[in-house]
Amino acid sequence: MTRRIAQIVCFAFGALLFALYFSQLPAVRSLNTTIMIDYWQIIFAITLLVGVISFVKISVTNIRRGDSRPYRIISLIGLTVMPVFAIFWGIKGDSPFMWMFEYVQAPMQSTVFALLAFFVASASFRGFRARSAPAAVLLAAAILTLLSRSSLEGIVPQIVTDAADWVRGNPSMAARRAILIGIGLGSLTTSLRVILGIERTWLGREK
Amino acid sequence: MKHLESRHWIFGGLFLFVIISMALNVNFDMRVSPETKKMFTFIDSLPAGTTVIVSFDHEASSLPEIRPLALVVLRHAFSRDLKLIGTALLAEGTAIGYRLMNQTAAEYSKIYGNDYVYLGFKPQYIAAILSMGESIPETYPKDYLGHSYQNLEMLSTVKNYDDVATVISIADGSMTTHWIEYGASRYNVTVTAAVTAAMMTTYDPYLASGQLHTMFGGLRGAAEYEKLIGIGGSGKRGMLAQSVAHVYIILLIIAGNIIYFRTRRKRRGVS
Repeated sequence: MTRRIAQIVCFAFGALLFALYFSQLPAVRSLNTTIMIDYWQIIFAITLLVGVISFVKISVTNIRRGDSRPYRIISLIGLTVMPVFAIFWGIKGDSPFMWMFEYVQAPMQSTVFALLAFFVASASFRGFRARSAPAAVLLAAAILTLLSRSSLEGIVPQIVTDAADWVRGNPSMAARRAILIGIGLGSLTTSLRVILGIERTWLGREK
Repeated sequence: MKHLESRHWIFGGLFLFVIISMALNVNFDMRVSPETKKMFTFIDSLPAGTTVIVSFDHEASSLPEIRPLALVVLRHAFSRDLKLIGTALLAEGTAIGYRLMNQTAAEYSKIYGNDYVYLGFKPQYIAAILSMGESIPETYPKDYLGHSYQNLEMLSTVKNYDDVATVISIADGSMTTHWIEYGASRYNVTVTAAVTAAMMTTYDPYLASGQLHTMFGGLRGAAEYEKLIGIGGSGKRGMLAQSVAHVYIILLIIAGNIIYFRTRRKRRGVS
C-alpha cells in the first residue's frame, strides 16, 4: 500500500510539474513559483538532514569498529564545529565560520585539487604510450592541446594552435554532442518510466 | 635516496619547475583567442547602467583558476559602469563571490545597493534559476546581508530576467548547463560564461548552437582578458607556470614513449 501511495504521489507531481513548466497562464505560473521557492527548498532541507544523519551513523559505526578512526573523528568535529560557528557568530564578514572557510577549507580543497597535476605528470610518463594507432592519435591530440593552452606563441608555430582548435571544434565537439544527446534521451526516458510507474527500483525492494 | 621511485622524481621535478617559473617575472606577448575577444566585446558593448547577473557557480577547490577569471569579468563590468547582481548556485561559491565583488567594487569606488548587490546562495540550483525567471524578489526576499530586496535602490526595477541583460556564470562544473537549459531555454535570458579550462569542451556544443552566447576560460583565458582590459593579474602570472608544466608533461610523455619503444624492441630482439 505504501508503495502504491508513493507511486501515485510521484505520478501526480511529475505530471503536474511537467504541465506547469510549459504553461503560460498567470495562475499556473504563480503556483509553479510557489512550488519551486517553497516546496523544493523544504525537500532540499530534509534531504540534507537525511544526508547528515546517514553520515553521522556511518562515521560512528566506523569509529566503533576502529576503521579509519582519526579521519572519521576529524570529519565529525568539522561537521559539528562549522554549524556551531554559523549559529553563534553568523557566516558573514570576519566571523569564525568565514575564517575556517577561507583559511582551512578553501586551501585544503585547492591543495587536494592541485595534487591532480602531480598524478597527471606521473601518469603521462608511465601510462600515456602509443601502443596502438588510436592511442597515438590521442597522444598527438593531447600534445597539441597542451601546447595550444600555453603561452609559448613565439616558440610554438601558429599551425599547432590551429590544429588544436580544429581538434576541439570537430572530433571533440562531435563526441560531446553524441554524449549530450545520449544523456538527454536517457534522462527523458528514465523520467517517463519513473513518472509512469514502469521504473520502480527507487521505491526499494518489495517486502 | 635509494627508496625514491621514478614518480617521486617526477613529482619533485614538477614542483621545482612550477616554483621557479612562479618566481620569475617573464612577460609573454599572448595572442588573444576569438572566444575571449567575443566575451570582452560583448561586455564592452553593454550600455552603462545595464543590469547583469554574475553567478558564482563554483567550489573552493578551483579557486586558483576561478579567481583570475572572476576578477577580470568584475573589473571589466565595473569599469563599464554596469549594475551587478551577485548570486551563487553552490554554497561554497557564496562567500568567495561576495569577497571578490567587494574587492573589485572598492577598486572602482562602487557603492553597495546602488552599483551592485549580492543576493547570495539559493539551494536547489534548478529551482533557483526557474524561480528567478518568474520573480527575483520572491526568490530572494533579502540579499546576502539581510537587507530587504525592496529597499535596495538598484533592484527597484529588476523583477525577473526580462530586466537583466545577461547572466555571467563563473563555473568550474556543469552549473552553466543549467543556466542554459532552464534560464536561456525557458526565459530567453542571454547566458555567458567564464569557466575552468577542463570544462570548456563541455560547453562547445552549446556555444556552437548559440544557446550559450559567449564563453572564455582557463588561466589562459584570464590572462588574455587581463591583456584586453589592460590590468595585469594572477592569470598572467600563472601562465608561465602552466606553460612550463605543460612542456614538462609533454617531455615526460616523449620520454615514456622512448623507453617503451626501446624496451619493446629489446624484447622482440630477445624473442
